[in-house]
Amino acid sequence: MRVVGILSRLGIAAGLALTGYLHADLYVHGYRGLHVIGPSFLWLAGASFALAALFVVAALLVVATAVPEPALLRLAAAALAAGALAGFALSRTVGLFGFLERGLQPAPQALLSLVAESAVLLLAGGGLWSAWRRGVAAAPTPD
Amino acid sequence: MTRRQLLRHTAWFGSAVVLTVAGGEVVSHVADQPVPAAAADPTALRFVQVSDSHLGFTGPANTAVEESFGDAIAQINALPYEPAFVMHTGDLTHLSTAAQFDQVKQMMHGLRTGQVLTVPGEHDSVDDAGQKYRAAFGAGTRGDGWYSFDTRGVHFIALVNTLSLEKLGHLGTEQLDFVRQDVAGLSSDTPIVVFSHIPLFAMYPAWGWGTDDAVRALGYLRRFSSVTCLNGHVHQLFTKTEGNVTFHSATTTAYPLPQPGRAPAPTPVTLPAGKLRDALGIREVSYRAGTRALAIKDRTLT
Repeated sequence: MRVVGILSRLGIAAGLALTGYLHADLYVHGYRGLHVIGPSFLWLAGASFALAALFVVAALLVVATAVPEPALLRLAAAALAAGALAGFALSRTVGLFGFLERGLQPAPQALLSLVAESAVLLLAGGGLWSAWRRGVAAAPTPD
Repeated sequence: MTRRQLLRHTAWFGSAVVLTVAGGEVVSHVADQPVPAAAADPTALRFVQVSDSHLGFTGPANTAVEESFGDAIAQINALPYEPAFVMHTGDLTHLSTAAQFDQVKQMMHGLRTGQVLTVPGEHDSVDDAGQKYRAAFGAGTRGDGWYSFDTRGVHFIALVNTLSLEKLGHLGTEQLDFVRQDVAGLSSDTPIVVFSHIPLFAMYPAWGWGTDDAVRALGYLRRFSSVTCLNGHVHQLFTKTEGNVTFHSATTTAYPLPQPGRAPAPTPVTLPAGKLRDALGIREVSYRAGTRALAIKDRTLT
C-alpha cells in the first residue's frame, strides 16, 4: 500500500507539472494578452508547479517518515484540476470571459492538458475518497 | 486541532503560497524576455510587414494617421538592408475612397524595397466589395485578390478573408480550393507563410477576431513542417502556436484597439499624450534557409 501511495503522489506531481508547463508555455506564447484568461494561465501554472513540488516532498516524507501530507493538499490539487477542466469545457461551449476556442486546439497542448488534469483529478480525488472511507470505517460506532 | 497539527498545516500552506508566487514570477519573467533578434545572416530572406494604416481616419486616437504611416515608411527605408518586399496586411484606407487609395499608393511608392504587396482589410472594401482596392493593388492576383508566390525557398500565400464576412472573417470555397491546389505540389519541408487581414485563428471571436472557415485552409497546410500566419486587423501584437502553425498578429501604424475583452467593443483607444507611438510599429521578418521558424522582430515607431 505504501508503494501505491508514493506512486500516487508522484503521479499527481507529474500531472501537475505537465499542466503547469503547458499553461506556462501558452501564457508565454501569446495567451498573456487575453483579458482574465492570460493572468489565469499564469496563476494556474504557478500553482501547478508549487503543488507538484509539494507532492514530491510529500512522497519523500512518506518514504522517510510514513507521515502523510494534510488532506488539504490533495483537495487543492483536485480543485485545481477540476477548475482547469471546467475552464476548458466553458471555453469550448459558452465561452469564458469572452474567450472561445474550438475542439482540441491548440494542439497538442489542449489534449495533453486534458489528460494530465484528468489524471490529477482521479488520483487526488481517489486518495481523498479512500481517506474518507478509512475515516468512516475507523470512527467509533454507537453501541 | 493540536498546536503541532496547526504548525504542520501552516508550513504546507505557506510553502504552497510562496512556491505559487515564485512560479508565477518565473513564468512572467520568461514571457517578458525579448524575442531573439532577426538573423544577422546577410543571405537571409528579409521582409517587412506593416498593417492597418487607416488613411483617412479622423479621431482623437490619432489625429495624423498619414504622418504616422509616413514615419513607418521612413523607418523601413532607414533599415540597414533593403527588404525583399514590404507586405501591408490590410486596412490601408479607412473608408475605401478613391482619394484614400491614391494617397496610400503614392506613399507606398516611396518604400525602398524590391516589391510592395498587400492584402485587403474590411476597411478597403466599404460599399464596393473591394473593386477600388483591386483597381489599385489587384494586378496579378486571382479571384477577389488572393495570390501566392515563392521567394528563396519560402512559399507565400496572400489570402482575402474580409469580403464575405458576417461577424468573422471568411475565405469561401473558391479561395479554399485555390489554397488546396496551390500547395498540392509542394514538398512538406517547404516553409509556408500565409498573409491575411483577419486572424486565421480564433483570437477573440466575440469581436469577430477569427475566420470561420480557416480550419479548412489550415488543414491543407497541416503536412508542412513550418507554417507561419501573419495578420493585421487587431492592432496589437499577439502570438500563438497551434501544432505546426504559428500565428503572429501585427500592430498598426494608425491607432491601438483594446486588448480582447478589456472594453465593451473594439473601438479606437486614445492613449495619453506621448504614448501613441509606443503602440504603433512595423515588423521585420527574416528567414534563413535550413531553419524551421521565421525570426520576427516587432519595432515601435521611432
